[in-house]
Amino acid sequence: MQPIPFDIGNIPGPEMGRLAEPYVIGNAIASAKRPLLVVGADILEDGLIDKAIVIGKKGVPIAATAHSIKGFIEKGYDGAVYMGLHELANFLKDPEWAGLDGEGGYDLVAVLGVKYYSCSQMLISLKNFATEPLVRIVSIDRYYHPNARLTFDNISRKNNDIFMKALDEVIARL
Amino acid sequence: MDELNLGGISLKDLENVRINIGEVIDEEDEWEEMGPHPKPGIAGLRDWDFKLMERYKPFYAPYCEMCCFCTFGKCDLTGNKKGACGLRMDAQQARFVVIACLIGCSAHCGHARHMLHDLEEMFGKDYPIDFGPSIEIEAPLTRLVTGIKPKVLSDFEEVLEYIEEQVVQVMDSTHTGQEGAAIDYESKAFHLGMLDSLGKEVADIIQQVCFKLPIGADVPLVDMGLGCIDPEKPMILVIGHNVIPSTAIIDDLREKGLEDSVEIGGICCTALDTTRYSAKAKIVGSIGRQLRFIRSGMADVIVVDEQCIRADVLEQAINIKAPLIATNDKAMYGLQDRTNDPAEEIIDDLVSGKADGVVILDPEKVGKVVPKLALLMREKRKDIVTILSDEELFELVSSCMSCDANCVIACPQGLPIGKANKAAAAGDTQPLLELFDQCVGCGRCEQVCKQGIPIVDVMQKAALPYVKAEKTKCRVGRGPVLDTEIRNVGAPLVLGTIPGIVAIVGCGNYPNGTEDVYKIAKEFVERKYIVVTSGCGAMDIALYKDEDGKSLYEKYPGDFDGGCILNVGSCVSNAHIHGAAIKVAAIFAKRKLRGNYDEIADYILNRVGACGVAWGAMSQKAASIASGVNRIGIPVIIGPHGWKYRRAYLGRKDKPEDWEIFDARDGSRLITEPAPEHLLMACDTAEEAIPEIARLCMRPADNSPGRQVKMTHYLDLSMKYLGKYPDDWPVFIRGEADLPLAKKEELMKILEKDFGWKIDWDKKKILEGPMRKPDVSLDATNLERLIRTKEE
Repeated sequence: MQPIPFDIGNIPGPEMGRLAEPYVIGNAIASAKRPLLVVGADILEDGLIDKAIVIGKKGVPIAATAHSIKGFIEKGYDGAVYMGLHELANFLKDPEWAGLDGEGGYDLVAVLGVKYYSCSQMLISLKNFATEPLVRIVSIDRYYHPNARLTFDNISRKNNDIFMKALDEVIARL
Repeated sequence: MDELNLGGISLKDLENVRINIGEVIDEEDEWEEMGPHPKPGIAGLRDWDFKLMERYKPFYAPYCEMCCFCTFGKCDLTGNKKGACGLRMDAQQARFVVIACLIGCSAHCGHARHMLHDLEEMFGKDYPIDFGPSIEIEAPLTRLVTGIKPKVLSDFEEVLEYIEEQVVQVMDSTHTGQEGAAIDYESKAFHLGMLDSLGKEVADIIQQVCFKLPIGADVPLVDMGLGCIDPEKPMILVIGHNVIPSTAIIDDLREKGLEDSVEIGGICCTALDTTRYSAKAKIVGSIGRQLRFIRSGMADVIVVDEQCIRADVLEQAINIKAPLIATNDKAMYGLQDRTNDPAEEIIDDLVSGKADGVVILDPEKVGKVVPKLALLMREKRKDIVTILSDEELFELVSSCMSCDANCVIACPQGLPIGKANKAAAAGDTQPLLELFDQCVGCGRCEQVCKQGIPIVDVMQKAALPYVKAEKTKCRVGRGPVLDTEIRNVGAPLVLGTIPGIVAIVGCGNYPNGTEDVYKIAKEFVERKYIVVTSGCGAMDIALYKDEDGKSLYEKYPGDFDGGCILNVGSCVSNAHIHGAAIKVAAIFAKRKLRGNYDEIADYILNRVGACGVAWGAMSQKAASIASGVNRIGIPVIIGPHGWKYRRAYLGRKDKPEDWEIFDARDGSRLITEPAPEHLLMACDTAEEAIPEIARLCMRPADNSPGRQVKMTHYLDLSMKYLGKYPDDWPVFIRGEADLPLAKKEELMKILEKDFGWKIDWDKKKILEGPMRKPDVSLDATNLERLIRTKEE
């Protein structure tokens, strides 16, 4: 069955994101040479920030967009770098960008807790213009993201435990 | 004879001679030397646009990867592919932006043209354009773009003719097989943005002078809010942007002594302009309140003019049994045109229900019909109840299956409607009430609910105590900034000691409710920025009150000065924000305006610390507004829905070469700090936007006391909202005098330890580190033609 975007009218075109099991997305992140986790202010809800920190501690650098950085600081975690989502997307599509650590760009971007519609626009920008070299984009958020290469299906907030379990499965592969 | 000056001539003894008189040149038309770009065509300011885009490169985020414009298609452009016509994805996005700007610009300029026709008819073509002694530069954009100094109403005909030709030419460029480069489409979008600002200026000036709308800081405060309408009185609801029909209604009410016994309330910009005409009129609210207020059933007559009206307004009006009067040929809803029928006949047909609504295109007749109609409809409608009863609410929320499958994914905000319904069914309506302000009032949820729940009505019922209590004060739009005000603030603005102008404008598609715009305005007015507002943003700011029960408009003065908040008026009044920046260049810096757009834009970009905030930008008009603001050198922050406009202009602080400017004194080149770093960008949350606004108010020309003030706010706001100093703050430090006094030592230690700067601790001086030293005499420019002496 064709998944439905979380914002139902968000049908970009013929290439729509593929639904994937958490372990598949986890494996994709684990196999990337330079993965990046992009998080937004929604990680400040439902304990998502704790999952992000676990991912960070597994060696995946974190770009903290919106005001999510405040959550990391309050948690005493210094492995996240603040950057606006628009600015970050602009950097990510530039193969010459030095990256958050000065070591260069990223070959995979995973998103979590970014406002659905701005995240979708960020993903579609990368999908269309971060192509040489290709930046693979995956979503580990609770939404079906048609502009990600791999994504979960929509997970209702009333099923938060299912979402948390999915994140744990992703983390287990890192 | 080359020119025939205005005055008298006599030609004797001439017979059978045909004399052709071309343009009559008034002596006063030589008021200022004409600059290089009067009435620029599509390519006229292309060089300036390209300079902007060398630094602020267009960034694209497609909203759709298909092109469906011609029968070659549909074409799949995914991955920046070309369509059958040869156009790539990036250029297609830019083309879409141009089309959005065409729509927006046409709306403002069509509005201006419509009003000019009406006002010339009502007041005469020779009605003077005169703002009185406080304003000499009566039409800064008109002077700047067209080189025309308007003296009477009809002088604006030439201005609108110029705009209309340009709009047609740019529209032409969007046809299949025309423009092929994204960057040239962007230049056209800038062009439309400039035309949009010009059209808005025409619209607001002509309504301002003809209706003698109030000017200056001492304009009245008016009642605003969903709860401000007296339910005991007949109520006329006006929606849209073109105020002329509303003025006719008010005139009739005044004539009949009914102004105090009939409520006239407005939604959207007509509300703002109606209250400029009569302070007894009320502002119901911004666009997000439209459907909900209509559903409240309070309106006895609904009068619509143009723009931002719900397309289903007739259906909504029928549902509450209120007649609809369409007053503008751009929005007639299939209704019968009764313009030429007697008023009494029209009233009879509407009261009897023979007609659900009518078109009346003559404002005077609108004035004759609507007040009487409201009184009669009130009698007929007084027992109509459209708000749900407690029992109905319970029944409806109990029928919700909490499936989350339809309403949530139909909602533009993704609001958890099912969860709130479930709570309401269990007796707790608070979650539904909390959604009320986050809801943008579109009604998409209702169309997909399998249970047929009228979700907008349900939410409104749950929020009824909040709705009834929504009574506040909004300051009436004050029109242009006075020349005298510019004289007072010109120096502190350019030097930076007034830290900036924050212009909160635009629609109500907020990511998190209206409170964000209040928070943004409050933060900056308290910090002594000049906060300017217009449109829906101006209204929504008023919805929140401080601990003393005062809105920001009640608490802070309405001058154009630091620590003040001024509402310039409706969308078209946005032109006065451009106008204020232009006047800083003209009055403070004595720059010539006439046909001199790029020099003034260059001045503003380098010197006037202003930042536009369109937090709820939704419409095509917002696209053209932002493009106009950008072309004149002012950055704009949009809310997260703004990503859907497909394009941003983003700078790169990691590329110093992008920040090279000239010193116009000698033509030397220097690299400056990235100020402002971006020209158009979206922020996801207000907490992210607030420090960003402070950052985007920095300019290369800030002197050290000014930069110090701006840095104080940038650092404070970053700490407050992000919990840390921003990573880029050292970039803006040119010497120790730029550092905030209270944090000077702490920051110098950070510069030394973390960034390797050399500090002389005895003298508390920075010895090495900054990319450049502060230079109060720097004459920063991006335009080579402004260099006075070329460097050898």
